[in-house]
Amino acid sequence: MISKLRAAGLTRRTFLKSTAITAVGASMPSITLAAGEPIKIGFLAPLTGAVAAWGKPGLDGCMIWAERVNAAGGIELEDGKHPVEFVSYDNEYDPAKARTGATKLIREDGVSFIMMLGGDTWPGVQPVADKTGMLFSTLLPSDLSPDSTTLLAPAEVHPIYLVTGVDYLADTFPDAKTVVICAQDDALGLPSVATYLAAFEARGIEVLEEPLLFDPATTDFAPIVTRMLSSNPDIICLDTCYSDYVHPICEQLFQQGYKGKMISATADFYDQMIAKTSKEFMEGFIFQFPDFDDPALSGDNINFEDANGFYEEYAKRHPGQWGAVSWEYASIMDLWKAAAEQAGSADPEAVMEAMKEGGTGKHAFGDAVWWGTELFGIDNALVGDWPVVVIEDGKAVIKGFKSIPDWYDQHGDLLIKHMQAYNQMYDQRG
Amino acid sequence: MRKALIWIAFGAALIALPHGLSFSQQEILVFLTINILVVSSYRLLTLTGEWSLAHVVIMGVGAYASAMMTKNLGVYVPVAMLMGGIIAALIAVVLSFPLFRMKGFYFLIGSFAAGEIIRLLWKHFRDPFGGAKGIKGIDPMPDFSIGIYDFDFFEPVSYFYFAGFIVIVCLWILWRIERSPVGLTFHAVHWQDKLAEASGVNLRAYRTLAFAVASGFAGIGGALLAHYIGTINPGSFDLDYMVFVLTWAIVGGTGTFYGPILGCVVLTILNEVVLRELGFEQLRPLIYGAILIASILFLPNGLESIVQKFTKRSAKS
Repeated sequence: MISKLRAAGLTRRTFLKSTAITAVGASMPSITLAAGEPIKIGFLAPLTGAVAAWGKPGLDGCMIWAERVNAAGGIELEDGKHPVEFVSYDNEYDPAKARTGATKLIREDGVSFIMMLGGDTWPGVQPVADKTGMLFSTLLPSDLSPDSTTLLAPAEVHPIYLVTGVDYLADTFPDAKTVVICAQDDALGLPSVATYLAAFEARGIEVLEEPLLFDPATTDFAPIVTRMLSSNPDIICLDTCYSDYVHPICEQLFQQGYKGKMISATADFYDQMIAKTSKEFMEGFIFQFPDFDDPALSGDNINFEDANGFYEEYAKRHPGQWGAVSWEYASIMDLWKAAAEQAGSADPEAVMEAMKEGGTGKHAFGDAVWWGTELFGIDNALVGDWPVVVIEDGKAVIKGFKSIPDWYDQHGDLLIKHMQAYNQMYDQRG
Repeated sequence: MRKALIWIAFGAALIALPHGLSFSQQEILVFLTINILVVSSYRLLTLTGEWSLAHVVIMGVGAYASAMMTKNLGVYVPVAMLMGGIIAALIAVVLSFPLFRMKGFYFLIGSFAAGEIIRLLWKHFRDPFGGAKGIKGIDPMPDFSIGIYDFDFFEPVSYFYFAGFIVIVCLWILWRIERSPVGLTFHAVHWQDKLAEASGVNLRAYRTLAFAVASGFAGIGGALLAHYIGTINPGSFDLDYMVFVLTWAIVGGTGTFYGPILGCVVLTILNEVVLRELGFEQLRPLIYGAILIASILFLPNGLESIVQKFTKRSAKS
């Protein structure tokens, strides 16, 4: 009998883990809902501080999403329709506060699912996830590992999608052959650096010097920009810098007379960047996060419902606040809603099973596959096509969608090589 | 007898305290307990008249040392915590050689630079410090039972009892140091340095002693934090955290032993409980800042001055 259980994968570790979950679960509030009772969803992200730009706009987007869903009758489970309600906790991008927030959301508020930005905050939450079995989502698949079985990355495949921007750049501007990369030295910056290095190497673009890693506390970017320009590159790559860095770096590039190409993961609040520089300077700036009023997002391949209407409502309520994450948490909720309705339950385990059924899922930018064993040790990232966005005449425009799995099939070995060099593979972290 | 009864009642209240709180408030209580040790140890250094900006980084030294000893060498967690404190104190002694060539404002800036150097070393050397991502999966305090109570250190109540015991012992030692001739000499080094020197007191040695002892206790605080949340990174011990420690000390007042503790308790409850519960989650930095300015304007001697006012009144009556 014991050998049968062992064969089925029961080890001392999994036994202890399941016993712990049972013990803690006994003190958890029940997720069973009364008819018509709201389904609570936790939003555990930075709402204040330096990283708030990747939390707050997402919560604003979720509020619009909830209003739309509730106006349409709510989420249909086995026992009828339920309205949805978001409960937020500002984790200030601090692992200790993230742990407190996760505890509050699960044990006091009785949420059925928790969305996080991830990054530095996930390791603080992971013990809570392990003990409670709660389903979590992250925007950063670099949080995924074989140990994080209840963590999904269903919206953003950061940083792997960055390869699509480099492919577009190389296809469109074949004369641009040299690049310099700068990034903040943290959990977001480093995997991005590794990805950009792989993408540039795949397209034969020479990286002129070691990526310039600056401290996240940096406020004066003039010396950094001067150093980058000293090697006279054709391309400046801003990696996954926070908007608090992208803006001053672009301002410095403008002031120091840079004329070449620029590529970045994000260009949040790019209208402000144009105001600080000029429309001409920002023309052709390549990044990865579209405005949702783009006509390309009304196509049949897009699974985000009424993207253009969502953007219009967002822009009306929060003018000038649209950012990279404004739609992402809402798109995760689209997936969660579909899975909960399929499972007929808000139970985390049932929803996760329904979400991953068949190994495919409906990502905001098209049908995608659950993927990631080689990079993350677990197939919990939903990966498909990703848009390449370029600023044209002061407005972000989608220039096309490119397949991430296709790129990985050709150049996956390069990505793994650079990820290993930066200790970013799942078995190298921590 | 009356004093003993007060202490017994205080102990009973501390034991009962977490059971009257919500789960998230219990978590906050754990971090508050650790922060009380950090800010109290910081006060010991301020007795000599020096204000450091490296205290939180030194706390991080204790956290990193303890985490690495348990992870890489398999040292038993409580022993590693103690070792973390000792290593933090030793690092402080090393830093004291350049830092105590300076005084006042220059010491403050020098300590900031020293702290940043340590933080950059953590970031730069991915092996063994984990670089910017830091160290994850730090061993938790092993669970145990004392017959009447089972300690499950995932639960904040258990960790509060454990950390609370350690912090009370540390506070008692800090209190005894301050009340000892050594503590009186610290005061003399601050207020009558020339006279103390003329009396044969080695100012630099006493400043170094205060710096090392304060750092040792901060290191224990860091180790307590690391083994609870299971992860640390250079950002966990940044200038923002140091600013919080400074504001707890300034708003509470550093004239008495309880002043910084009072500041830490009041401001933490305000920031983490009251403002969140009132629905001002995203406005907290603004409101917190306004309250700080108001308290500095209207309570220049800190919250301890209110307590002193009441205790003087009751003594008179």
